[in-house]
Amino acid sequence: MPAREDGDPVERTRFRVAGTEARRADGVAKVTGAARFTVDLSVPGMAHAVMVRSTRAHARILGIEREAAERMPGVLAVLAGADLVAAGLHPYYGHVVLDHPALAVGSVRYHGEPVALVVAETKLQAAEAADLVEVRYEDLPAVIDADEALRPGAPILHHERGQRVGDEGMDQGEGALEGNVCAIARVQWGDVDAAFAKAHLVVEGEYRYPMLYGYAMEPYNALAFFDQGDLVVYSTAQHVYMVRRDLARMFDLPLARVRVSAPYVGGGYGTKSYTKIEGACAMAAHLTGRAVKLDLSVEEAMLTTRSDSSHIRCRSAFDRDGLLLAREFDIVLNSGAYTDNSPLVNSKTANRCFGPYRIPSLRVVSRSVFTNTVPASSLRGFGAPQGNIGGELQMDEAAEKLGIDPVELRLRNLAGPGEAILPGKRPLDADLREDLRCLVASLEWPGTGGVSVGFGVSASDAGAYPTSTAAVRIHADDSATLFTGSTELGQGSRTVLCQIVAEELGLSLERVAIVGGDTGVVPYERTTGASRTTTVTGRAVQEACRDARRRVRELAAQNEKVDVAAVEDAPAGVRVKDRERSYGEVIEGWFGAGGEVLGHGSVRRGEGFAQMPPFWEIGCSGVRLSVDRETGVARVEKLVTVGDVGFAINPALVHGQDLGAATMGMGAALREELVYEGEQLVNPNVVDYRVPRFSDQPPEIDLMLAERHDGAGPFGAKGAGEGAGNTIGSSVAAAIGRAIGVFPHELPATPERVWRLLRERDERARR
Amino acid sequence: MLRRFEVHRATSVEEAVDLRVRYGDDAAVYAGGTELLLAMKLGIARWAHLIDVKPIRELSRVAVARDTVRIGATVTHWDLERHPDVTRVLPALARLEASVANVRVRAAGTLAGNIAFAEPHADPPALLVALGARVVARGRRGERTLPLEEFVTGMYQTALGGDEILTAVEVPVPAPDARAAYVKFQVLERPSVGVAIVAKVNGASFAGPPAVVVGAVDELPRRVDTAALAGASLADARVADALAASARAAVSPVADLAGSEEYKRHLVGVFARRALTALAAG
Ligand SMILES: Cc1cc2nc3c(=O)[nH]c(=O)nc-3n(C[C@H](O)[C@H](O)[C@H](O)COP(=O)(O)OP(=O)(O)OC[C@H]3O[C@@H](n4cnc5c(N)ncnc54)[C@H](O)[C@@H]3O)c2cc1C
Repeated sequence: MPAREDGDPVERTRFRVAGTEARRADGVAKVTGAARFTVDLSVPGMAHAVMVRSTRAHARILGIEREAAERMPGVLAVLAGADLVAAGLHPYYGHVVLDHPALAVGSVRYHGEPVALVVAETKLQAAEAADLVEVRYEDLPAVIDADEALRPGAPILHHERGQRVGDEGMDQGEGALEGNVCAIARVQWGDVDAAFAKAHLVVEGEYRYPMLYGYAMEPYNALAFFDQGDLVVYSTAQHVYMVRRDLARMFDLPLARVRVSAPYVGGGYGTKSYTKIEGACAMAAHLTGRAVKLDLSVEEAMLTTRSDSSHIRCRSAFDRDGLLLAREFDIVLNSGAYTDNSPLVNSKTANRCFGPYRIPSLRVVSRSVFTNTVPASSLRGFGAPQGNIGGELQMDEAAEKLGIDPVELRLRNLAGPGEAILPGKRPLDADLREDLRCLVASLEWPGTGGVSVGFGVSASDAGAYPTSTAAVRIHADDSATLFTGSTELGQGSRTVLCQIVAEELGLSLERVAIVGGDTGVVPYERTTGASRTTTVTGRAVQEACRDARRRVRELAAQNEKVDVAAVEDAPAGVRVKDRERSYGEVIEGWFGAGGEVLGHGSVRRGEGFAQMPPFWEIGCSGVRLSVDRETGVARVEKLVTVGDVGFAINPALVHGQDLGAATMGMGAALREELVYEGEQLVNPNVVDYRVPRFSDQPPEIDLMLAERHDGAGPFGAKGAGEGAGNTIGSSVAAAIGRAIGVFPHELPATPERVWRLLRERDERARR
Repeated sequence: MLRRFEVHRATSVEEAVDLRVRYGDDAAVYAGGTELLLAMKLGIARWAHLIDVKPIRELSRVAVARDTVRIGATVTHWDLERHPDVTRVLPALARLEASVANVRVRAAGTLAGNIAFAEPHADPPALLVALGARVVARGRRGERTLPLEEFVTGMYQTALGGDEILTAVEVPVPAPDARAAYVKFQVLERPSVGVAIVAKVNGASFAGPPAVVVGAVDELPRRVDTAALAGASLADARVADALAASARAAVSPVADLAGSEEYKRHLVGVFARRALTALAAG
């Protein structure tokens, strides 16, 4: 796979460890199977829990017959939502709205919702007993489709809304949340109607992005117990501190008495953001007095969280030269039964749908809507792919109608570096025009023979809320340990964060260790998501290193009885009185024997991150593909991504992120979709829900890097991980459109959908 | 997740038959387990007893006689795709086997299990029917041999008796001037259309009508009426048209996640043509 380093070679040699393809800190452990995941953990006396799930999409719970299950061997308890309430626990969780019960209370809102939990000595005993739990329901009318859920008279999921608990980073947007509306986001400026009235060309259409399951190798699981009244939970959580807050609320415990730890996590992609099953597991531990493990199957994970699907109605106005005059989007997201993270996904969809263009007038309304389906939450890209399919495809459709090359059309409209694409927000910290030129050169636009080309751009307000802290201990033997609340999900964060420490402290990587993802041990980290770890956590790590160095200078000054101003940093220690002293010499000199230095670093919405977002995550990728016109099968022949990451602290990891994001994008573009028939999912397993395989990878892949040191992160870095996938849906649709003469507006572009488009086009041609 | 069950490791066909008689509907025959255990894990099926036939030595052999290839019931897809005699005598079957599922399923899954499960979305049945394959079943009253076409009676339904074990699949060795080809269309884990063609070819023409069978798309493998093609030239465009039309008419496609009835019927025509092209190419 060809990898090009487009960065300035002089810039790159400024660093020793940053910018190198350092081996993964967790590589050998994972390849040999030695790495320990939550699912591998057990503690003495651990009991096991199995969920009983709803067989109705919307119903009142009339009663739960549990005697037969309780009589089964090994059974410790059969718990239902009502028991949690009776025990004085707060069964609802949610980081935006407290409306998601750990176990259904009073009614169920989707097929597959947890209704009861059976706890037994072994998992098999729990499962066998769970088969005997009978739930009596009174059916209520259900609504599966989001547009239908908005109609007057539609069944209402939440007559009473849960308490809003979101902070500044998390709200439900403006407007009245009536009926089934979970959140509303609006973005608006200029005189949209006037602009459309005077437009030379208006492109209008409806677009759909599918409901997805973000397949990860490790399904959700948790292990919970109480230790002298403190709650300890090991889980597959991406955001351990967010889960800690939910659990503290559910148990009325101070934050200090809840400890959430995520050892290695087997893939997250946003699907493990926020609380999932931790509440139910911890409540079982509380009510049985035992350590309890709850370990879901993939099929159950598919009933736990999925992504929001989108239905976009939009139009774009252009002048004769192809300059955008106005855009208007009306977006409906199908967000499932509970709020979870959909308000944020919704606001990001609204912010990201119109693209990084100069748009004189804009009106976007995006609504997140409750339906009786699996609750939706974050998934890689987080609203960006859901909106990009409309925004970018209309650029391609307009180019065709205007007779302007679609690259040229974009170049004319793209915002340049330093230009604002959202008023009041951080100006664009990327050069999208250059990125696009690199992209289309590698794609060999405009394509030849049987191969067509599609591409797209996007800019995502990434990084989430920039609250991050880190601690670094320098030991007396010149080694260091980093403490971070960021979770290693497979993305390589441990490696890259260690590289930052090694670079800052002048140590070799072998002398840097990391402890991560345990709220009982490591300092606060808001989230591991929004492509933020390298940029935002990385800055906190840098600050911690600098703080540790400052401490070492102070100790050296006291050792040498000089003013601290007389002590300078040396590559791996200090220089004082014209002599270099290692950290260890300074530390031992000060303590007399042993000792260490502790540095703390924090970043907040201030200083370099005062302006939101912390950075713009760029999407700039595309495909070459061919279409079998008889079957409708589209085959990607080449994938190209441009990772506009400012500076790749570890290029191999960036390539991995870009390829991973693009691969998930290709899954959604061509194959993946959760399908409801009636009130049930018909493909809630990974045999019928087809995730990409290695054999699906295109024969040619070009992963490029654009390194302009224009990010707010360490050494000018910006985040990666989502951008490369955000434009794949629209790229695939555009390439198919160019191949067959009709642009698909609905993803995935399955063979049958493409075949139907071809047939309709042929029929139109015959008439 | 799986529930409690007991595995009985039979070491002879007689023992397996006795176990079937003893446990009746509470037991299932267990070969590779790729279908059985998946169904049990998903809770679609639950059996208290599994009769494991893998220890039965006589079922693990492939025997090539002058006019038949006899494939024992525990021979896996993986065994078949690389078996020297199978690749020599039935190269189309070996190629088909190599395209089944993924390597994990092929390594454990058996041909007999594929047939006994009678899941319509399968590759081997179409080609085996076109080749005139028979299945051998043994029960309390002894052994019987019946054409595969009669063995599979519907979706997940076969003529296997409650006391019987499938012991082998017998495939006639094709005549020296016969050719065979199998092509399929697949978007999900299993095929959604498969077309097999077996024909004696004389120069560039069919000597007699070709045997064409469409699999995976309907509840059962369907034979295509090819009487009119006897003696026709393989390269004649009208032959391809006629074959495609006849194949489309032979099936009642079942709509599912892989496509609608209409789309699948269209694909049957496309793949009938492609089967012909593959046959002509040798
Ligand atoms: C992910 C996946 C993908 C697949 N893709 C394909 C594909 O592309 N093409 C294709 O053709 N197939 C495909 N299959 C099906 C696969 O070929 C079968 O799973 C396999 O051949 C079944 O054999 P087995 O030995 O595992 O059967 P088992 O699972 O052991 O048994 C299957 C059934 O047959 C019965 N049975 C087995 N052996 C006997 C016997 N000797 N006598 C009587 N009854 C018996 C069992 O009781 C059970 O009902 C796929 C399966 C999976 C899981």
